[in-house]
Amino acid sequence: MQSKRSFFNKALFRKNLTRYWPLWGGMSIAGSFIPLYMLLELSTRTSLGLAPGPNDFAELLYGAVTIFAPTFLMVYALLCAMLVWNYLYSPRAVGLMHTLPVDRTCLFVTNALSGLVMLGIPFLVVGGLLCLLALAFGFFNLLAAVNTVAAVILLAVLFFGLATLCAMLTGHTAMLPALYLLLNFLAALLETMVGFLNQTFLMGIPLQSMQLQFLTPLLQIYENFTMGYLDMEPASAASQESAVYLQGLGTVALYGLAGIGLLALS
Amino acid sequence: MIEVKNIVKTFDGFTALDGASITVPDGGVYGLVGPNGAGKSTIIRHLTGIYAPDSGEVLVEGEPVYENPAKKALLAVIPDDWFYFPSSTIFDMMRFYRGFYPNFDGNRYEKFKEVFSLPEKSPIRRMSKGMQKQAAFWLAMCCRPKYLILDEPVDGLDPVMRRQVWSLMMSDVTEHGTTVLVSSHNLRELEDVCDHVGIMNKGRVLLERSLSDLQENIVKLQAVWKPGEVPVLPRELEVLHTSHVGRVYTYIVRGKAQEITRQLQVHQPLMLEALPLSLEEIFIYELGGEQYAVKEIIL
Repeated sequence: MQSKRSFFNKALFRKNLTRYWPLWGGMSIAGSFIPLYMLLELSTRTSLGLAPGPNDFAELLYGAVTIFAPTFLMVYALLCAMLVWNYLYSPRAVGLMHTLPVDRTCLFVTNALSGLVMLGIPFLVVGGLLCLLALAFGFFNLLAAVNTVAAVILLAVLFFGLATLCAMLTGHTAMLPALYLLLNFLAALLETMVGFLNQTFLMGIPLQSMQLQFLTPLLQIYENFTMGYLDMEPASAASQESAVYLQGLGTVALYGLAGIGLLALS
Repeated sequence: MIEVKNIVKTFDGFTALDGASITVPDGGVYGLVGPNGAGKSTIIRHLTGIYAPDSGEVLVEGEPVYENPAKKALLAVIPDDWFYFPSSTIFDMMRFYRGFYPNFDGNRYEKFKEVFSLPEKSPIRRMSKGMQKQAAFWLAMCCRPKYLILDEPVDGLDPVMRRQVWSLMMSDVTEHGTTVLVSSHNLRELEDVCDHVGIMNKGRVLLERSLSDLQENIVKLQAVWKPGEVPVLPRELEVLHTSHVGRVYTYIVRGKAQEITRQLQVHQPLMLEALPLSLEEIFIYELGGEQYAVKEIIL
């Protein structure tokens, strides 16, 4: 009689997190200096009578998620993927993993979840500390926090999904980052090369854009996923409503869905 | 019971297994022997669920083992090169295995501390090869497997630990009905423990018999003939090997000792004696027919 099928294994999940704690732990510790710095800033401003408001919190979060997060997540997702899928490149490691009484789906799901959790822990730590600070000083903005969390999750899924697909396609640890970077910037590279060739050999003939920029997620995200400011009267701006908003979240959501698709393809 | 039925496996055009079949009965020790590159490790990887065959079946208790966690939970394997996580200790690996094997026996793990005398909390990578092998045995046997699959198991162990490990395995076989499949080149050792033997070469299983059956069906005869009266042996005798030193002729013949002796007595040898063959000799002479023989090399 076959036992009930399981898609998750606690022992493997725990092993992944304990083995790779220097990465997510180090990121969390490094990232926690941001709230510390903010705390110092807040103390200074409060003592000068310049208490921050919900707008400031929104601006801080949206600035981080639109400027810092995409590049950071692109690199960090690669590192997490390299760690959790590293066993595939060692015959000895595969010999252990695939003899264990779990099926490959369970191995994949557990390892993928491990990678996503490792991706999320530093953001949870830093974001959690920032929210606690904001609540303590009375400038917490729930909408900004929710938008930021959603954006981070979607970006994480996108880049981790792409890195996972690259891990499944390559046979060597060093090739994973090479393929990953290539796929991340392939369209932009192709357009640049074609443009150069056009300029060199077809002078005077205008070249139409290949409309492939969507295949370069990082550049597309930086172009479309930005922070916007509402035109508001000073009185309204000083109120609880945020004068800052996030635009391009739809683009990020589409990329997030693509990330899920890439994980499923993997 | 473990059954491998006509499996074929190719890698980039190279046929590693070419219709190999074995049957491992429950509750005994099955020795899988063969020259280097015969396909023994490949069969073992099929049994443990690493590979799926291109054709054929690999069954454990009647069900395919590939992607079957319920059946894989009945197996524990010790490969020739055991993997452990870098910087992990035996204790770490024990916790890892315990999370996968439903029958993992913590009490047995504690009892084996005295048997193996290994530092439980030291990194495994700092241990010698033999100590790492011992650690692999320690953990595999604590999984309480119904089927224990071993690839070159005692390679690297000192003689005392070899005996200890075999003793532990044999007690599991007799007391708990554990089935052991062992692949090894150490035929002298296997001879002491195996009930069944399968001899492989070039991806095929040449023969598969109980050890007693194998030893009863091949015999070494030593005969001394009268000078100038060395007879031509009857054609119906399947002679695998003939050699002589002076007047002492040695024949390796397939068949029952009694019958062959009777046939040779007709030629009135001065001396005729039937001797049993060791597993190593059976291996050498059986494979000699497969063009895998000891060659005389003149340098």
